[in-house]
Amino acid sequence: MRNYETFSTTADLGIRFRGRDFRELYGNALRGLNLILFGRNPRPRAGENAAVVFRFKGDGPENVLVNFLAAVLELAYREGKIVSAIDVHRADERRLEARLRFAPRRAAPRVEVKSTTYHNLRVSEKNGWLRAAIVFDV
Amino acid sequence: MNPGPRRFEEIAPGRWRLDKGAERGMAADAEVFASGAILRAALDDASIEQVINVACLPGLVGPALAMPDIHHGYGFCIGGVAAFAAVDGIVLPGGVGYDINCGVRLLASSIPATEFAPVRERVGHAILQRIPTGLTPRATTKLNKKEFQRVLSGGAREIVGNYAGTAADLEFIESGGCLPFDQPGVIGPRACERGSSQLGTLGSGNHFIEVQAVEEIFDPAAARLFGLEAGCIAVMIHTGSRGFGHQVASDYIETFRKRNLARLKLRDPQLVHAAVGSAEGRNYLQALNAASNFAWANRQLLQEDVLAILEEALGAGRETLGLRLVYDQAHNIAKIESHEVAGRPTDLLVHRKGATRALPPGHADIPAPYRAVGQPVLIPGSMGSSSYVLRGTAAGARLTFASSAHGAGRRLSRHQAVKLAGEIDVRQRLEKSGTLVCSLSSQGLKEEIPEAYKDIDDVVRVTVTSGISEKVARLRPLLVVKG
Repeated sequence: MRNYETFSTTADLGIRFRGRDFRELYGNALRGLNLILFGRNPRPRAGENAAVVFRFKGDGPENVLVNFLAAVLELAYREGKIVSAIDVHRADERRLEARLRFAPRRAAPRVEVKSTTYHNLRVSEKNGWLRAAIVFDV
Repeated sequence: MNPGPRRFEEIAPGRWRLDKGAERGMAADAEVFASGAILRAALDDASIEQVINVACLPGLVGPALAMPDIHHGYGFCIGGVAAFAAVDGIVLPGGVGYDINCGVRLLASSIPATEFAPVRERVGHAILQRIPTGLTPRATTKLNKKEFQRVLSGGAREIVGNYAGTAADLEFIESGGCLPFDQPGVIGPRACERGSSQLGTLGSGNHFIEVQAVEEIFDPAAARLFGLEAGCIAVMIHTGSRGFGHQVASDYIETFRKRNLARLKLRDPQLVHAAVGSAEGRNYLQALNAASNFAWANRQLLQEDVLAILEEALGAGRETLGLRLVYDQAHNIAKIESHEVAGRPTDLLVHRKGATRALPPGHADIPAPYRAVGQPVLIPGSMGSSSYVLRGTAAGARLTFASSAHGAGRRLSRHQAVKLAGEIDVRQRLEKSGTLVCSLSSQGLKEEIPEAYKDIDDVVRVTVTSGISEKVARLRPLLVVKG
């Protein structure tokens, strides 16, 4: 398995991702979502970068992931931004604190991701890797 | 016949049952209305797993059901139907879906298809120009807070009363186009923000506006009552509650998780639920009604836009053109309905996710002019293939809590569809077969190629042979406007 990859269900799209710790897990979730939204080479507009520290909390890593990715979707659709980099300050199973660097996106997302679902979402650990898969409603 | 590792038994033509003893945790039987091929596909894409997950939920009344357009969703499968006691049962957002009251509206006309042909392209472009479509479009006007709240309370009634349309339309909308909503506090601010700028928009994905020709009539008496005339055009609109419904669903899934997840044993966390009588359950049902009203208001506005375009293009008013609403129905919803259980009328909270209500002849909730034949059931086909109008039956009322299929049902994922389409010019190909396609997205068209969906004829065949609905008419697409 790659650190992040996309997959399809009959009606929807999803991402599989992994990390050796929560820092990597959350970061790879963002990269997977960006892959769905903007393809392999997301190109933010140059020179208009901003960075803001976000804090996401949850009752478990699944909840943190859904909250985090919902915020990324908000930035993409509502603000017209692409999150181009993530610098994780603190990450555990109930929290993600990270500086997100974002910039205006050059092109519209390739697909309308409407919601992040909890369908079969469970963060599990195997052979030293945390793994999860998220299905998006498109 | 045993089409897969799970021992489904065909207990009647097109009706397959998996006994509740078949799998650990099942509290009820699972029943799938399908041909052998459709059932095999459902086993392959794991949607049967989702029907079984529902059969494991507490308080289910009757079996966990799936309609002939079954395919993989999240939580419930698409085509899933489940009923719970209205008083002490459960309610679950995963049994409705995110696009609350996504649904279909059909208009009939007395415009011969031959008269529409010369203006088809003009109408297509005018729809694309007038109606915001595609990824997160914004409505041309944003509603203020007061106006928006009135839409949430009044649904299609509010549009007819203060914006556009005629009161006569309301009789031909499921639930009169308005469900009770009087607690604005149950809706979060983000949902209001998303919704207030999206009323009167089509959206993307499988949402569409089609002009169709009534090609074949199977039941002349019912078709006459529905106003469908062979050779004339009809208009079909498919959309829902847009970002508003999605935000309501997301917000309540979070609320249900916080309150209930820790004590629930779920096979899929998307099936998180609450007691109907709990504060969060009651609030969700109120919010669900508001989102349903939003969707009915949205389809009412889109109808008026399309009617104005047709009037202008054909140079005549809607009365002259015989343009009238046949029916508007939801296919992602949960509502309290009365159904017979063990010989007694019982109030149930029926969840339909990608399934339509299909009331039998004589039912009081059917528009009076249709009561003798049953509720119209609208089953759109894939882009470029036929759509069908059916009607509800007494057998359907008994077997499926008066439910039926809602579409062809996807067969291929979006990736598979795009790969299969390859370099094909989808527009050109459909135009050769008589359908003009107008869309701002080429990628979207590839995702929606006809091969991505099940054969609508097969879905309708099973729907009819299993007795849950009867065929009335078949409609062929002439113009497709996609988001």
